[in-house]
Amino acid sequence: MSLVARFTRSPEGLFGAAVLAALIVIALGAPFLFPRDPLSIVGPPLTAPFTDWALPLGTDRLGRNVLAELVHGSRASLLVGFAATLAAIIIGASVGTIAGFAGGLVDEALMRVVDAFQTVPGFLLALAFVSVIGASLPVVVLAIALSAWTGPARLARAEVLSLRERDYVAAARVIGMHPAEIAFRQILPNALAPVLALSAVIVAGAILTEAALSFLGLGDPNIVTWGSMIAEGRAVLRSSPFLSIIPGIALVVTVLGVYLFGEGLSEALSRRAVRS
Amino acid sequence: MSKFLVSRRTLLGASAALLASTALPRLAFGQDAVKGGRLIVAADSEPRNLNPAIVASNGVFFISSKVIEPLAEASFDGENGLAPRLATAWEGSADGLSATFTLREGVTWHDGKPFTSEDVAFSALQVWKPLQNLGRLVFANLESVDTPDPLTAIFRFSKPTPFQLIRYALPATTSVLPRHLYDGTDIAENPANAKLVGTGPFKFTEYKPGEYYLLSCNETYWGEGEPNLDEILYRVLPDRAAAASALEAEEIQLAAFSAVPLADLDRIGKVEGIEVISKGYEGLTYQLAVEINHRTEQLANLKVRQAIAHAIDKKFVVDNIFLGYAKAATGIVPQNAPEFYDASTPQYAFDVDKANALLDEAGYARGADGNRFTLRLLPAPYFNETTQFGAYLRQALAAVGIDAQIANNDSAAHQQAVYTDHAFDIAVAPPVFRGDPAISTTILVRTATAEGVPFSNQGGYSNPAIDKLIDDALVTVDDKARTALYNQFQQAVAEDLPLINVAEWGFITVARTSVHNVSNNPRWAVSNWADTWIDG
Repeated sequence: MSLVARFTRSPEGLFGAAVLAALIVIALGAPFLFPRDPLSIVGPPLTAPFTDWALPLGTDRLGRNVLAELVHGSRASLLVGFAATLAAIIIGASVGTIAGFAGGLVDEALMRVVDAFQTVPGFLLALAFVSVIGASLPVVVLAIALSAWTGPARLARAEVLSLRERDYVAAARVIGMHPAEIAFRQILPNALAPVLALSAVIVAGAILTEAALSFLGLGDPNIVTWGSMIAEGRAVLRSSPFLSIIPGIALVVTVLGVYLFGEGLSEALSRRAVRS
Repeated sequence: MSKFLVSRRTLLGASAALLASTALPRLAFGQDAVKGGRLIVAADSEPRNLNPAIVASNGVFFISSKVIEPLAEASFDGENGLAPRLATAWEGSADGLSATFTLREGVTWHDGKPFTSEDVAFSALQVWKPLQNLGRLVFANLESVDTPDPLTAIFRFSKPTPFQLIRYALPATTSVLPRHLYDGTDIAENPANAKLVGTGPFKFTEYKPGEYYLLSCNETYWGEGEPNLDEILYRVLPDRAAAASALEAEEIQLAAFSAVPLADLDRIGKVEGIEVISKGYEGLTYQLAVEINHRTEQLANLKVRQAIAHAIDKKFVVDNIFLGYAKAATGIVPQNAPEFYDASTPQYAFDVDKANALLDEAGYARGADGNRFTLRLLPAPYFNETTQFGAYLRQALAAVGIDAQIANNDSAAHQQAVYTDHAFDIAVAPPVFRGDPAISTTILVRTATAEGVPFSNQGGYSNPAIDKLIDDALVTVDDKARTALYNQFQQAVAEDLPLINVAEWGFITVARTSVHNVSNNPRWAVSNWADTWIDG
């Protein structure tokens, strides 16, 4: 049975996939749905939701369209989520593979570096990184990747350790393949599956970390993000709670969707493992 | 002296409505003060150096003004707007070369030593003039202080120094330090900067970082029957949303300096037992200004600066960012300084078409993406309103084809970027007007003499004509002639736009109605609170 077929048998996975697909469509369609800068002032400030159909979700303290902000905000969340995860997986899988395959001193050294990163709470690391270098989207992505790469590294190393004793690796050695080629072309692709299952958790975490950073004012102030929307609404939490609640719901739905998708994926992958 | 953002009449109306709406109307006057009790107030910052003679800033005064007193304090009804504190009388000579202060009798320091003119002489020459951020300017020409007897201090200046300026500067710049604790020590590093010793109605008792400052009653205070309170406790509440709920829960009784967000005032003003007071900050007008880096090629062009001024809708800023608790600015001197204010300065009305036309004339045509050029915009992080105005300004400039990229920094990084590294094109700043333009206003546009001084002209602006007006006014003793010079100064600034003033605001105090004698002078939050009392 193919992976896709196994995946479709998990209802939560399907639900997650549907949410994720909808979000991706919204994020990609944002510039067509709301071609203006989502931060531009379009109406009277603090219009309540559902009172003006030109501004269905109302306006914030400066009179900006909340719906436009929400739609454009999904871009930042998803972009950071996926980019940071991609970066974390690439760094983590490479370090893990090298450590596992090379063994010995290299393994020791690399794993101590991983330990060092793991002892610092990920969010604090990202916070420190962003406040020192300055807030912009690439820096935020890097900061989150920096705090998330250790998981994939450990997992990849463990996989590599068990794979490197396999016969096909020995065969590759015998035919004179370069060790780097063996590590990255023969072993890594086989070690990657469990690491990929981890990716959904990393994406969900990255989206939350990005929101927390921009909530604290450490996001890029020139783009709209859900975290900065919540922070912006906090000043009027008592009188206009919708300004914080709406992006909050969007965040919950997104993280839930990503997480369920990840659950479905790892379930499908583990079924394969059991059968093989 | 009607001089505030919210007019007296509105205020009276509002407080009358408030009185009527509360179940137990209290009479502000004619009620006897109750002795004793502890007043708990919210503090939103924890200054490291609490010495007001060195750091003359409101964050420091908020706590230290109860412990260390100035020669005179601002007053609503005193002569020249002053009430005596450590000095009982003051007089400037006609030539402006000396000023004589008669000091109060029978004042002792908190450690029991007597207060004398030696303390004043020491503070003036060793602290205010060389070390204090504001005193450096005001006392620049101070040469010596004569002390013919323990209760007389005669300030001697090398150049004529207008007594008008000295008078306005008295409340903020003349905090007197005990000479016996500071003489011969490294003043900036003296331990008494953290554990204050003064002559004020309250003694510094305890500081727990992150938790509170505790001041307690000075039994031997010179003011008869004062202070009323036993203790003042400053609870450190950096989160602004927390101040409002703490007030409602009666955990604190007073939150000054708009610790309660403006957006919450409407709601909290309706809560029984809590009142919103916009009085008591007349002597501390904050100005919302756009600082300009004149080193940037585009901004060196007057037409571009005019276009930016035309692009800003001051009414929108006042109504939506300050929620009406501010006034649109007309120039570099605020309207509540009637002695100096000039209403006839050129104005830049909100006019996007005109701004666009000016930018076209300046030769900056729109590119394919609709943008003419890109600027770095650094909003000061000190207030919600300054960062929010930054977000507004980005949009206002986008409407005229200027792409302003915002960079948010914390206080230290912001000051470094703007005042030391000059790594900005436009910045949003909240300078303070302190009664006289020479104290903290002219420095915003005068050719910079030192690099890296916060809240001074670090935008590379230099205009000899404006410099001359500033320098002349500094040594003009005659009040009228001096005012005339400052009127010319305001005109020149409005024409050449070294910076763009947008709004002027004072703060809001929110207090429980059990606290009395609140906001009864123009610098109330940073005055000594000797007469404040709370219901037993």
